[in-house]
Parts: sequence; structure tokens; C-alpha cells
Amino acid sequence: MGDQSDVLRGTLDLLILKTLTLAPMHGWGISQRIQQVSRGLLEVNQGSLYPALQRLEQRGLIDNEWLTTENNRRAKYYRLTAAGRRAVSAETAQWKRYVNAVELILDMT
Amino acid sequence: MSLVQRARARLRALLRRTAADRELTEEIRFHLDQETEKNVRSGMSPAEARRVALAHFGGVERVREEHRDVRRLPWLEDAASDARFAHRSMRRTPALAAAAIITLALGIGANVAIFSAVNAVVLRPLPFPAPDRLVVVGEDNPEKQWHMQFAAPANLLDWRAGVADFQDVSGYFEGVGRSTLTGRGDPQVLRTSTIIGNLFSTLGVRAALGRTFTFDESFARGTHVTVLSDRAWRQMFGADPSIVGKSIVLDGTSMQVIGVMPPGFSYPADGIDAWQTMEWSAKERADIGFRRAHGVRAVARLKPDVTIAAANAQLQTVVERLQRQYPVTNRVMGASMVPLHRFLVGDTRLPLLVLLTSVAFLLLIACANVGNLLLVQASGREREAALRLALGAGRGRLVRQALVESLVLSLAGGACGLALGWLGTRLLVRLQPERMLRVHDFGVDTSVLLYVVGITLVSGLIFGIAPALWFRRRDPAASLKEGGRGAALGRTARRWGELLVVCEVALALVMTVGAGLLVRSLLQLRQVNPGFDPHNVFVAAVGLNNKYDTDAKQDAFMRQIQARVAALPGVVSVGTAMNVPFTGVSWTTEFIAYGRPANDFVPEIGMSIVSPSYFATMKEPLLRGRVFSDDDRPSTTHVVVINEALARAYFKDQNPIGQRIAFDKAPTATTRWLTVIGVVGDEHSDGLDVAPRVEAFQSSTQQIAGYANLVVRTRGEPAAMTAGVRAVLHDMDPTIALLQVTTMEALRSRSLARTRFLTVLLLAFAVIGMTLAVVGVYGVLAQVARNRTREMGIRLALGAQAAQVRWLVVSQGARLALVGLVLGAVSALAGMRVMGALLFHVAPNDPLTLIAVAVLLALTSLAASWLPAVKASRADPALTMKAE
Repeated sequence: MGDQSDVLRGTLDLLILKTLTLAPMHGWGISQRIQQVSRGLLEVNQGSLYPALQRLEQRGLIDNEWLTTENNRRAKYYRLTAAGRRAVSAETAQWKRYVNAVELILDMT
Repeated sequence: MSLVQRARARLRALLRRTAADRELTEEIRFHLDQETEKNVRSGMSPAEARRVALAHFGGVERVREEHRDVRRLPWLEDAASDARFAHRSMRRTPALAAAAIITLALGIGANVAIFSAVNAVVLRPLPFPAPDRLVVVGEDNPEKQWHMQFAAPANLLDWRAGVADFQDVSGYFEGVGRSTLTGRGDPQVLRTSTIIGNLFSTLGVRAALGRTFTFDESFARGTHVTVLSDRAWRQMFGADPSIVGKSIVLDGTSMQVIGVMPPGFSYPADGIDAWQTMEWSAKERADIGFRRAHGVRAVARLKPDVTIAAANAQLQTVVERLQRQYPVTNRVMGASMVPLHRFLVGDTRLPLLVLLTSVAFLLLIACANVGNLLLVQASGREREAALRLALGAGRGRLVRQALVESLVLSLAGGACGLALGWLGTRLLVRLQPERMLRVHDFGVDTSVLLYVVGITLVSGLIFGIAPALWFRRRDPAASLKEGGRGAALGRTARRWGELLVVCEVALALVMTVGAGLLVRSLLQLRQVNPGFDPHNVFVAAVGLNNKYDTDAKQDAFMRQIQARVAALPGVVSVGTAMNVPFTGVSWTTEFIAYGRPANDFVPEIGMSIVSPSYFATMKEPLLRGRVFSDDDRPSTTHVVVINEALARAYFKDQNPIGQRIAFDKAPTATTRWLTVIGVVGDEHSDGLDVAPRVEAFQSSTQQIAGYANLVVRTRGEPAAMTAGVRAVLHDMDPTIALLQVTTMEALRSRSLARTRFLTVLLLAFAVIGMTLAVVGVYGVLAQVARNRTREMGIRLALGAQAAQVRWLVVSQGARLALVGLVLGAVSALAGMRVMGALLFHVAPNDPLTLIAVAVLLALTSLAASWLPAVKASRADPALTMKAE
């Protein structure tokens, strides 16, 4: 179980970071956006979202502030830090290498 | 069930809302609201929308928990909760916690006090700038077995001129002089120190007011100068800011005050009021005595970046030149140097080291005791630990918790110990023999604090290891099955406990043997016959001033005062002496006998000038011939009385009476020959632990001493004579003060002070250590007895005698004690050798002490095991069976 969640966790982190490159967003917004963009294929386990956000914040990749939404509610918005931006490209490249590697293995006949 | 309740309370405490928690709650609420709204928009009823949102989100609590896991600093929170837990468990068993803390406080307190002394005396550098560049230079003479002896002034001056690596050399007389201050109301006695060169600038100390001596002021210049201490300046001169340049009258001589030293400076002894210089005249400098009289302690300051070895090489060159240049005095005279700090603390180092070892043992015993206490406590909490293990607590966490509990205990003990130790240092300062520790105030500085923190943590680890390991090894299932709180201590834990007790007994034995050896030394010392009867003897010095500048005047004054004091009520007899035993003041001189080659014998003997009545007053036995009488006049045959040691060492089988001796190196035309008229018993003049020196006495009726001590044998309490003698003196000359008033008994007692001080401290530590060890034996056996209650009950039920059951317990105690005693005896035999130098007429491996201490420990251990044994033998079979 541990191994699987590790992979998922890594993936979730990358997805959050990538989503935040567009604009600062609150937690719910992030989950909605990931779902939209992946055309409903990826559903974020909402229970894992907040610990993941916390983890990213501790790694200094994102920070947060409390802002007011369009319908006048206070919400915690997350945005990328400079380190976060660098991490997105690095982790994206790494992810792509990983996917390629997996594909190569799967294509073996 | 209280255990579950506690677990709940603990959980609740962990869930206490923090700011971060509140933020997360709000964030989740926002999320759920958004999700609900979305669901409503897609056509659900609000209630349905909410339910689906919640379901979608997953467990809110789980998210929180996970969030918290990410957020927190786990080790810190764990440590804090462990500490809280420790605190609670201490409150649950306050007696145990108190016992542990008191035990530790004793151990740590003793260590703090002794370490503070070691720190202040041995570790802390001297309070002078660049103290490592200060050295003492002493003279070595293989023929006289001198090493680091006082220097002759002429040699000191030659070293100063000849050794380029010395920045400066100066000197001082080690004794503290007494000078009478007159012209300001009643005469006051000042403690004075006489120095050579500028001792102050050599040490690197500046005057607070005015200046210090110049080098030239060591020689007669017409104007007499003095430097005052801060204390004397404040107490005797009202802190007069314009004192510099004013004149004061000391011993009838007008002296100009040239400076006042800063507060706290007092060298070479405590409580010096004024410093003065030797003021040697040109005639004195030219005299051979200037190179022959060894009386000056020489201190040199090395130039920066000069090593002792380099300076010493230069010194040796000068020494060799002086040996060739002045063969009469310096033929075999060498010189060597040691750092000033080491020189000053040299004789205090070993006693302090012994004390430090003793308190370290004490702390180890304390740790073993507390370790055993915790082990017993741990056994009582076995089910709790098992339950927590079963509920998923990590073993590591339990071990860590046990260690944190130990550390909390040790910190509490350390804090109390620090307070206790601080009080201990006050006590040490007050009880120390004169000048032993050379400090008034130890202070608690960084080194002491670091030491306390260090030993506190280390002891926490030492006594925490046993229960921690024990928690680690336990199998939860087994102990849950065993049932019953306070279940039997596991085998491993019991072994640990026994090992601790064995070590305690061994350490206690070593400590007590050390103390015992010193007690025996002290007893031996007290039995040494000083060679005279020290009871009921009043002693004081008469500080004649320069009004009495001729032999005739001094003689007349001393005769008159003797006669008048003899007439006082309660006085048996009165005598005078140049040196009084046990005062540390002595005079040695060269010695030849008529008709025998020079160097036929050790050329140094002790010499004192005494009045005819001295021997009778001191009750010193006359072995042969006669003592002096008033008929021995300067005009009659010059006579001398020698002691038995001299008679035996030099005249052996010959009758010494009628032989002639002289205090000279080689006979010359002017040699003053003295005829031996009597042999008296030996005096232990240099202390009870020092063999009597070979000694000769001259008569004050033929040779004037220049300074004199009164010895008065009284019928009653000798100290009560003070007022009477003082009145006589005041009546004869009010400008003369009575100095160093004391009794022979007090001087004798003071000569034992060092040994007594060390003995009392070691004995106190040994008693505490032994008590703790015996308590440890008791504790372990009580636990053993408790563990075997059921077994005992069955035995008794099956018809065993109470005595048999008692024997079961006692024999176990005896076995532990025996192993400890053997271990301790072996260590004591090996380790006591270091004590050798502190002992008097007792061998470090003295079998009597060892056996006595072992028997004492064995008996007390047996007594300690008797109580649990009796309790075990009273086990009620019916009750113990029912308890199952």
C-alpha cells in the first residue's frame, strides 16, 4: 500500500503545482480544475488534497493567503513560489521521462 | 477503567485546537460549501447535496489528522507529551519521585560543590593577565636535597640580569609579617608582605591609586615606601582619596604611601594590608649572606611567545656561570622553574582529585539507586506498557518515553543538586583549612553550569537505561496474560537490579575504605607525641619596633616582660623562643663540629634561640646534661642544647656533652664555637606528620633573637591569658602590639586541619554513599520478597518454617553483598595507591581498614535484607492464594 500511495502522492503534487501555474487558486478550485482539465478522467481524492497542499507549503513550493472570492467568501488561496515554478518544470520533465520509460516497457513484445 | 480514561484524556489533549487546526477547519468548510453548492446546481436537494459532498470529501477527521501529521514537528511534540506524561506519572507516585530526586540532588550537589572547588582552584587560570607566562624559579641543591627551594637574593638578581627571556623577575617572602600602625588612635596590627623588585608589575597588576614599587626601591634609598591594600585603605584610612604621598607610622618607622591596590588583590597570602620592600643596604648586598640566605620566593614573567623550555635553557647557562663564579655558595646550586599556577595548587591537587573521585562514586551509587527505583516502578506499569504496545504504540516510543521520564527526574534532581551544591561551596569555603583552597568565593560560572548539565544528563541516561531496555524486551502478550498489577519483575530486569546493587556495594566499599584510611591516618597523627605538652600553653609574639635597636634594649625588654607575665595569676611558667612549633616558621643553618671534617654530615640543621625556662614551660624532656640557666651570660662559655635526633644522627655512640659545634660551613678564625651542655627530646616542629628535624638551641641569654615569641604555661584555660598579657605589654610600652595570639593546642589542631578537612568530607560522602547502597540492597530485596510472596505463601502452607523463608531472602541479600564486597575490595586494593601521599603511617592496602569496612557493609546489608525477609515470612498462605 505504501508504495502505491507514494507514486500517487508524487503525481498529485505535480498536478497541484501545474494547476497553480495558471493562477492562484483555493483548494476546492484546484480539485475542480484538475477534474475539468483531465476531462473527468482524474478525480482528485479530496481527502489527500489538503495534506498535499500542506506538504508543498512546507517544502516552500507554494504559499498561501486568505482572499475574498467573487461571491464574497473568505478562502485560502494557494500560489506558486519561485521555487515552486522551478519545481514544476523539473518535475514535469522527470514525469515525462518516467512515462516514456513505462511506455517503452509496455510496448515490449 | 482508569487506564482507558487516561488514554482518552491523552487523546483529547492531543486534539486540542491550535490556530493551524482552526484554519484547516475553515478551509474544509469552504470546500464543503462549494461542493454542496455545485451539487445543488446539478439538481440535488440541499440535504442530499451536503451528504454527497461529505461522502466525496472522505473522512474530515482523517484529513485533519493527516494534515496535522504533515504539519507538526513530531519529535518535539512527542518529547513534550512524554515530558507531560513523565510529570503525571511522577505526580502519581510522589514518594518515589521525591526519593529519586533527593537521592540525585545529594549526588549532584556533592559533585557541584567539589567540582566548583576544583574549578576555582585547579582549572580556572590565575587572576592575572597572561597567567601562563608566570613561573616560579626555585633553587635546587642535590647535596641538601633541595628542589624548588627559596632563592638567595643575589642569585635572583643575577637571573634577572642574565636571562633575556625573562621580562622581569621579582620575589617575595612567603610569611606574612605583622606591623604595628601607630599615630592613628590605638595601635593597629597590619598584615604585611615584604617583596623584592616590582612583584605587582611582574604579576601584571596595576595600582588603583598612585603607583607600585620600582625595582630600585628594593634597596635602601632613605625614603621608606609602602603600598596599601584596598581593604586596609577603606577600613583603616577611611578610603582617603588623597592618601597617596601621605606618611603613616609602621613599627615606629615613617613610611610614605605610594599606592593603593585594587579590591580583591592580595598576594602572596590572604588579607595582606600593606606591602613593603626589603630596602637592602649596600653593605648587605656585598655580604656573602646575600648569596647564602635562601629566603625569597622568585616569580618571573616570560616574554611573550617564549617557551618555558627556552627560558629554562637560558637560566641553566646563568646557573652554571654562577657555580663557577661563586664556588663557596653556588658550587652545586642549580635552579628550575614551574608554572606559577601549578606551583600554587600543587599540594591541593591530590586531595581535590580524591574528593572528586569520591563524589563521582557517590553519584554513581545514587544513579544505581534511582535506576532500581525506576525499575520497580516500571514493573508496576507493566500492564500499561503492554496495553499501549498492543494498541499500536511503537516500542521505540515506549523506550524513549522511559528515557524522557528519567531525564525529567534527573533535571529535577540536577536543579535541586545545583542549589545544594551552591550551599555546599559556602560550607567548603567556611570550613577549609587556612589557605588550602586559596579562594573566598567559588561562584557558579559557565564551567560549573556545563558540568552540572553534563552530569545531570549522563546520570539520567545511566539510570534510565535499565527501565528503557526492560520496556524494549517485554512481550506484551505475555504480560497481559500474566494479569494482576505489579506482576513479577522480568528475569532480565531483576538481573539488572541485582547488577546495580552489586555495583553500589562495590563503590560504597571503595569510598568507605578511602575515608577509613584517612580516619586511621588522622588517629595516628593525633597520637603522635609532639615532643612537648601542648595543653595549657598560651602563645603570642611581641612585635618589638625599632626603638629597641640594640641587643641590650631587646634583652632588657624581654626579660622584664617574662618576669611580669610570670607574676600574673594562673601562670605556671614563661619562656621565649625564636620559633614556635607548628607555626610554619623555622630557621635552618649550616653546621660543623669541632675536629670533624666539614660535609661529614647533612650540613643543614634547625636552629632556635630560647630562654632558659623554655624547655620547662613546654615540658620538653631533658635527656642528658643540663638546660640553659641565667648564669649563661655573653661573657661565659657559649653553650648549646641539641635534640635527640641530632645527637643520634651525628654523635651516634659518643657522648655529645662537651663536644663543640658551630653554625658555619667551614671553621675559620672567627668561628663562634658552642659547647653542647644538654640533649632534649625531639619536637615535631614542622607538623605532626613531619619527622622531627635535627635541631640545636642557643640561649637567649647569650644570643639575641631579634624577635621573640612568648610561651606561657597556665594552670587554666590558656586563651584567658590574653587580656592579662596584653595589659602587661600596654603598661610597658603602648606602641607595641601583641601579635599572633593563640594557644599551642590551637596550633597543633591547625597542623591537623588539612587531614581533618579531607577526612570529614570523605567520611561524609562515604556515609551517604553507604546509606544509599544499603537502601539499594533493601529496595531490591523488598522487590524480590514481593515477587515471591506467592511462593513463600505456598512454602509456608506446605509447612516451611518462618526461619527457612527468612533465610531464602537474607541469603539472596548476602550473596549480592558478597559479590559487591569482593569486587569493591579488589578495586580498593588496586586504586588506593593514589591515596598514599595523603596517608600517615597507614598503608594504602591496610588490611585492617579493608576488613573493618567490609564487615560493616556486610552487616548493614544483612540488616537491610532482614526487614523484607521478616515480611516475607509473615505471608499469609490463605491470603496470597486468594489474591490469584
